[in-house]
Amino acid sequence: MQTPTPPRGIQPLWTRAFHALDIALLLVMVSSGLQIYNANPVFGGREGMTLPAPLLLGGWLGGGRQWHFAGMGLFALNLGIWIALLLRQRHRRLAALDDVSSLRASQSQPRRRLASHRLVYTAMLIVLSLALLSGLAMYKPASFWWLSGCFGNWQTLRTVHFATVPAMAALTLSHGVLSWRIGGLRLLRSMVG
Amino acid sequence: MPPSPGPGRRQLLQAGLASAGQLLLGGCALNDLGPGVAGASRPLNERLEAWLQSRGPIPEFRRDQVEPQRLLVNNFQAVPQIDPASFRLSVEGLVHRPLSLSLADLAALPQREMVIRHVCVEGWAAIVAWGGVRLADVLALAGVSPLAGYLAFDSADGYFETWDRPTALHPQTLLVSRMNGAPLPAANGAPLRLATPLKLGYKQSKWVTGIRLLASLDPLRRGTWEDQGYEWFAGL
Repeated sequence: MQTPTPPRGIQPLWTRAFHALDIALLLVMVSSGLQIYNANPVFGGREGMTLPAPLLLGGWLGGGRQWHFAGMGLFALNLGIWIALLLRQRHRRLAALDDVSSLRASQSQPRRRLASHRLVYTAMLIVLSLALLSGLAMYKPASFWWLSGCFGNWQTLRTVHFATVPAMAALTLSHGVLSWRIGGLRLLRSMVG
Repeated sequence: MPPSPGPGRRQLLQAGLASAGQLLLGGCALNDLGPGVAGASRPLNERLEAWLQSRGPIPEFRRDQVEPQRLLVNNFQAVPQIDPASFRLSVEGLVHRPLSLSLADLAALPQREMVIRHVCVEGWAAIVAWGGVRLADVLALAGVSPLAGYLAFDSADGYFETWDRPTALHPQTLLVSRMNGAPLPAANGAPLRLATPLKLGYKQSKWVTGIRLLASLDPLRRGTWEDQGYEWFAGL
């Protein structure tokens, strides 16, 4: 390859910055979101099971909303700029269809690992975008009636928004494990530090 | 040599991880910062909300889409006892003609029905058909001063709310006396409550007895729940 690439294991500054910011913002969004969840659990309504306090941020519904809607703008900005930069500068690193085929067919384990990792982190971007869109549809269902309409009914919308939390938790774990197996602590460190 | 992160960056990373850990192990220390982060983000959020809502009416649902079973009841106090015969709605403050309207006076005004989504701050929502008079029609009867930028709504149970003028004058903001084709039940605010597709449920006072037109808001009395920390504009 003729194009200059950064040394292996070293991510550009913007990737590291977006990673670090995203981890902090996601913690705020998830913990304050679960606080809001507790006011009327998505599953079961008023009789539904609530989540334990150590996972929550805000102290009460109003406090959870204060954090959630203060964080959302930064979260959206961070995600939007990140995806735009990725598509512009590093779109070759995003997953494509041939990753699925190499996952199916390739005999080389490193190659399969890389393919599955690309699928995992690309899926993270899609899930985060879905969290943002479903959140917007719930936050402003009158102004964005067309967006809310895309999700069918309100319960589906709430379920989709909530489901992005376990989905991101699982994907983040896989992302961490796969990064570790591909590049060890050096790669993990170079992602955020 | 692997380029290791410099000490500054490492310290930053450690501080970040420490605060993340604190977040996970009980955001209690951060809970007190809620009003602060809200103060920093709400002015911009509210301006965006008001701008979004200035772009025409909100599409309504079909009558067969109403979800009576999904509409939960949240009350501030017990349901107040109101005699419909002696009930009066007062309209005062910055108006040319202060009013005291009976239910018959309100029934004589043009009635309309809207099928909208009622969204609660708690996260649930229900599609409801609300029937009543436009708040704008009542305000036109009173003749609102151009100085009146805000409205305060007093309720029989002591609940109170304040609104911005544009939402109050919006054609889809109603003073309702009917719900899903039947007279409004007492638990849902009979004889008179607010309804709009533009704001969260806690803005839509039940058992409304008085409307006051104001030039400015008292920052310490912006609404029963707003004074506890809920959003004031609360646009949907």
